[in-house]
Amino acid sequence: MNTRILRLASAASTSGLLVAITVALLALPARAQNSPGVYAIKNAKVYTLAGPAVEDATIIIRDGKIAAVGVNADVPAGAQVIEAKGLEVYPGLFDPITQVGLNEVGAVAATVDVTELGEYNPDVVAATAVNPASAHIPVTRASGITHVLSAPGTSGFDSQGGGVITGQASAFNLAGWTMDEMQIKRSAAMVINWPTLETRSFDFSTFSIQEKPYADVKKEYDKKIDEISDWLDRARHYAQAKEKGSPANFERDLKLEALVPVVEGKLPVLVIAAKGRDIRTAVEFCTKQNLKMILADGAEAWKVKDVLKDKKIPVILGPTLQLPEDEDVPYDRPMEQASELQAAGIPIAFSSFGVAFSRRLSQYAGAAVAYGLPHEEALKAVTLNAAQMLGLADQLGTIEPGKMANLIVTDGDPLEIKTQVRYLFIKGQLTSTENRHHELYEEYRKRPQAAH
Amino acid sequence: MKESLKLARFRLLFSLVAVIALMGALSGVSRVARGEGGEPRYFAITNARIVPVSGPAIEGGTVVIAKGLIQAVGTSATIPPEAWVIDGKGLTVYPGLIDAGTNIGLQQEGAAPSPSAGGRGAGRRAAPVGEIAHGPEDRPGTTPWRVAADEFKTDDKRIETWRNAGFTTVLTSPEGGIFPGQGSVVDLAGDRAGDFVVKPAATLQVSFRPAGGFFGFPDSLMGTIAYIRQVLDDSSWYAQAEPIYDSNPTKNQRIPYDRAERVISQALRDKQPFVLPANNSVQILRGLRLADEWKIPTVLYGGQQGYAVADAIAAKQVPVIVTLKWPERPKDADPEAEQTLRDLRFRDRAPGTPAALAKAGVKFAFASDGLAAPKDIFKNAKKAIDAGLAPDAALRAFTIDAAAILGVGDRLGTIEPGKIANLVVTDGDIFNEKTKLKDVFVDGSWFEIHPEASPQKAPHGGEEPKPERAGASSTLDSGVSR
Amino acid sequence: MKNSTIILALVVFVASAVLPARAQNSNTILIQNATILTVTHGNIEHGSILIRDGKIAAVGADVKAPEGATVIDAAGQFVAPGTVDCHSHIAIDGGVNEGGPSVSSMARIPDVLNPDDIDIYRDLAGGVTEANVLHGSANSIGGQTVVIKLRWGKPADQLPFEGAMPGIKFALGENPKRSGFRPPAGVPQRYPGTRMGVEETIRQAFTDAREYKKQWDDYNQRKAAGEQNLIPPQRNVTLDPLVEVLEGKRYVHSHCYRADEILMLLNVAKEFGFKVRTFQHVLEGYKIADELVAAGVGASTFSDWWAYKMEAYDAIPYNMALMTQRGVVVSVNSDDAEEATHLNQEAAKGMKYGGLSANEAMKLFTLNPAIQLGIDNRVGSIEVGKDADLAIYNHDPLSVYAVVQKTLIDGQVYFDRQRDIAQRAANEKEKQELIEKEKKASEAEKKSEEKQEKKPEKKPDQKKKPGAPSGSDVVVGGAL
Repeated sequence: MNTRILRLASAASTSGLLVAITVALLALPARAQNSPGVYAIKNAKVYTLAGPAVEDATIIIRDGKIAAVGVNADVPAGAQVIEAKGLEVYPGLFDPITQVGLNEVGAVAATVDVTELGEYNPDVVAATAVNPASAHIPVTRASGITHVLSAPGTSGFDSQGGGVITGQASAFNLAGWTMDEMQIKRSAAMVINWPTLETRSFDFSTFSIQEKPYADVKKEYDKKIDEISDWLDRARHYAQAKEKGSPANFERDLKLEALVPVVEGKLPVLVIAAKGRDIRTAVEFCTKQNLKMILADGAEAWKVKDVLKDKKIPVILGPTLQLPEDEDVPYDRPMEQASELQAAGIPIAFSSFGVAFSRRLSQYAGAAVAYGLPHEEALKAVTLNAAQMLGLADQLGTIEPGKMANLIVTDGDPLEIKTQVRYLFIKGQLTSTENRHHELYEEYRKRPQAAH
Repeated sequence: MKESLKLARFRLLFSLVAVIALMGALSGVSRVARGEGGEPRYFAITNARIVPVSGPAIEGGTVVIAKGLIQAVGTSATIPPEAWVIDGKGLTVYPGLIDAGTNIGLQQEGAAPSPSAGGRGAGRRAAPVGEIAHGPEDRPGTTPWRVAADEFKTDDKRIETWRNAGFTTVLTSPEGGIFPGQGSVVDLAGDRAGDFVVKPAATLQVSFRPAGGFFGFPDSLMGTIAYIRQVLDDSSWYAQAEPIYDSNPTKNQRIPYDRAERVISQALRDKQPFVLPANNSVQILRGLRLADEWKIPTVLYGGQQGYAVADAIAAKQVPVIVTLKWPERPKDADPEAEQTLRDLRFRDRAPGTPAALAKAGVKFAFASDGLAAPKDIFKNAKKAIDAGLAPDAALRAFTIDAAAILGVGDRLGTIEPGKIANLVVTDGDIFNEKTKLKDVFVDGSWFEIHPEASPQKAPHGGEEPKPERAGASSTLDSGVSR
Repeated sequence: MKNSTIILALVVFVASAVLPARAQNSNTILIQNATILTVTHGNIEHGSILIRDGKIAAVGADVKAPEGATVIDAAGQFVAPGTVDCHSHIAIDGGVNEGGPSVSSMARIPDVLNPDDIDIYRDLAGGVTEANVLHGSANSIGGQTVVIKLRWGKPADQLPFEGAMPGIKFALGENPKRSGFRPPAGVPQRYPGTRMGVEETIRQAFTDAREYKKQWDDYNQRKAAGEQNLIPPQRNVTLDPLVEVLEGKRYVHSHCYRADEILMLLNVAKEFGFKVRTFQHVLEGYKIADELVAAGVGASTFSDWWAYKMEAYDAIPYNMALMTQRGVVVSVNSDDAEEATHLNQEAAKGMKYGGLSANEAMKLFTLNPAIQLGIDNRVGSIEVGKDADLAIYNHDPLSVYAVVQKTLIDGQVYFDRQRDIAQRAANEKEKQELIEKEKKASEAEKKSEEKQEKKPEKKPDQKKKPGAPSGSDVVVGGAL
């Protein structure tokens, strides 16, 4: 790539810049990444998230990793230089609960692979079904999200979740020709949709809310939890048989096998629960069962702060921009609870729980800042914190030498609406921000004036 | 000579039989056939405290009943010699109570025609039962011709249960659909069904519950309201068009026949009150607005959030039938479920509605709708009294005001000469839970109340708690907003 | 002390005793010291807005508070016109769709407004002052719609925006043809099942409406000419609003996605001689921006929703900017009570995607939707004479960090964040008190019920027989 083009680009205005780069990169297919190169991002304000921000810093990228960060970093010969004066660099954003790659068009079932049939599918793995050619991938990364965790069985605006133990969530980069190239961790967490104790249901025939007797609903709830407990017990037994039993008597069971790392506390469980009581029950359960629990969604986490703090449960929050379900809960609770949890010392991360809305991740974080979360904590909550929760922090989440070079170079605060991602690095490759939306924009912008 | 004697004897026998038969015919043949004694037709209750409701209480007074009507009331009433005298010393006589919202004597809702089907009977394009309604022309859930009096079953055990608690009169109405039918005022005693009926076409019932199911018309509240609007329009049109056509058949296109139009246009002509369900303040104000727009005589039914909008109701001079099943937390509720402040406030304030209505000058009656037993009626009425309703006003609501609202105020609801002899005799204040009922008169028929049948105990063979009446709800359920 | 000082003191003393203390006149309000985003006349730093009797009386850097005015100090804050949400489903009782028939124009949103819907308050907390409350999109021709002001606490009949033109909702594409939906066995599928049928449904309905109008016109003519004994045509509440559309007395707001269906409706409108007021969602509007301009139709769209349906697969966040730049009057809408609380931020996306200016972005949620709804003579910008429907933010409303501090409608503060926060403890307290009260009452009731059951049975009374024969105790005249 020509350094002259890049220098020109940095002098141009906002949209012009984006166009310039796009033109330069249009030669490459949107998914394309060059063979690993050496890059130097110069003179930027770098938010390492491993210390205070560094002004006028240089980042050296080599072999897919961050080689050096600092004011005096030496630029190796042959490095592609990106002049980033006036720009800012952050670790690439991480959306830790999505269905990206598993769901193309929500209403078209043939394009959706989010939820398998049956309630217990611990052995299914998201990475298997992710379509690397999904149009959502380039769209999502254009807003600065460099890697995601796709979680089977989860519900969002465009996905219908379901099941109890729904499968293994996979962490992968949003660039690459095949999942092998994209994959960060094939099995990053086990997803459990925690059952909910809800007596109210909507009855269409009378168009009103019907109440089921609490005793009945509680019985069903307890039964469901016993079922989960059952599965875990059998997995423990299976592990023991596998390890200590005689090979002649051993019968392989794929589902139980998948649960072994869970009961051994090695694979975290993403427990999806929203209501305060359900969260409490889930925490009690996971503590008793010695599981490594991460709470996901947590719409009413504020109700059970003490339990979460006491048992050291980290929380991946669902979309901040939502309304409380109960009419008496203050309107700003969903936006304000992130700061409340963080102040109480509970690790938090933001997520979209979606596909098309994954690109709103920074907006969710920004809304939390508007309602009290310190800006730096918000940045961590979209980069480092989830990586830590999922055991990926050795590779991702900060800008430090040795880590994977997932970086975004922006023209401003990445949580602000208007901020553009100027350069995108995924696994040390300069990646195009070109995507379906921008292509359509360009195409129709050029439509000649219609005859009347 | 022998033959003429035989003939004479035969003639005598014949005439005797004829006389007896005639007497039987006059007093009910069955009575003679069953061997029962004649029913007394004259009574006098003496020395009692009489609460006529139409005026101040009378101490040491007498009520004279003659052939089903009240003949005289006062301290110096003449007692006919035929009268059975009941010593009312220490007793109080009230007008018989009126329950303005029941389905006593009628089959449960399940027997009604399927709500999603078009109306039974001849209609313009009444869809066959079971088909989906596509629009107003299919007349979904429309059976305004069903009159409660025509379907009244005299073997309903609640007749006796209610009567033993002092209720002599009820409004009973069909359920199911948007126009379920017409409510009838019935007294709780008689032989054949027709004997019970005081006023067959007392009210025209309306429900706002969408009758279309999930796929038919209407499946929303706004669709239901639009449908009612169209039917009222059609009925007014029919009232106007039919006579014109009849007298000018060659000038106009023939008018198709629609049973609902015929029945409802008659109801409009008779100024029959339309009963509109409305329980929370939004529904009440909406009901008042629609009543205004449609220019129909209206009674609101439910009214439990009347405390919030009493003045608005008074301004429109619309009466209210207040259902006494006060909103309460469901018995088997989730102990940890969030209760909204809105619901809590409603449950706290609803029993204060009757007092608020009384203060604002709104005429109201009470309905037991949803309560399983008369003791609950009194218990809940007591809650209203505790919340500020004057006992006098409560009594009026159970008597003359209920009668007036149901269009029978000229013949029921007070103890005045000429009115129907519906009375209840107690040993104390009727709203005191320790009071025992002694006697009940219905249409001048005398019923002694046995202690076992005291209203304080649950009735034997009583009905299961009824599901919500069509449209009305006794919780603050104003429907879903999405 | 000097004599003059004493006299002055005396005068002041007497004056303050004689003149009644001027009560704070709640009809006169001054919002002072804010950055005012007028939308039509640029931004004013450190400016003030004087409100009198619900209207904006003065705007500028030098506006001062008259005596007795309530002063809202907005130092460091931003005042913008209240958000106008052109696509809302809040405050509807008993169902958003009359989904039974394909043409449900008989249904009226104004019949079922629910002023107690908490979403009204929540949208106020997001700066929304006006909402175009629409029927859903289940029908090719849906129900009648209404513009409301979010006057939280007022009864239903005080919500509608006085004088705003009534509307009706159309829907094109996947929703009215129920693409993804298979009814249960025995239930027939509803026509139309294709976009072709959607067109025919609309054409048929307007053909019927024309016929209906003609019947009435004929009748009225003959009656006016003195003919007797005529039977009038029947009123048809389904066709009445369509006649109003034909007569230009009712706006058409049409939900649509694909460019081709948008053009279809423009053609049908031309055929029957009516105008479409706005296209809603109109996610492929960018493909046919010129046609929209030529037809004079407004476009009310989402900021960045896409891919949830096939017809949304070509949706792009550049839609707002592209259409605006070609001359279409564009607004950003919510279709959702939560989305409505941050339309200001959704509008800002028009700057990121396609390079709209800050003021162009402001218009997307203020003036433009007001223009589309025909209420821009009263709201949508901060100008003298317009209604004081305003939102006060703590940051530039186009920033993700902006939080609404106050929302005013007709010069009245309907939402105040500080007041909301302060009220929470009191609400919680009242709640706990009511729960306690209820608990105590139910326990007392239970106790008294138990007591009653334990009471010994009273012996049957010695009934004094009336003066007549028959010692029978049998109840006479009972049911057979």
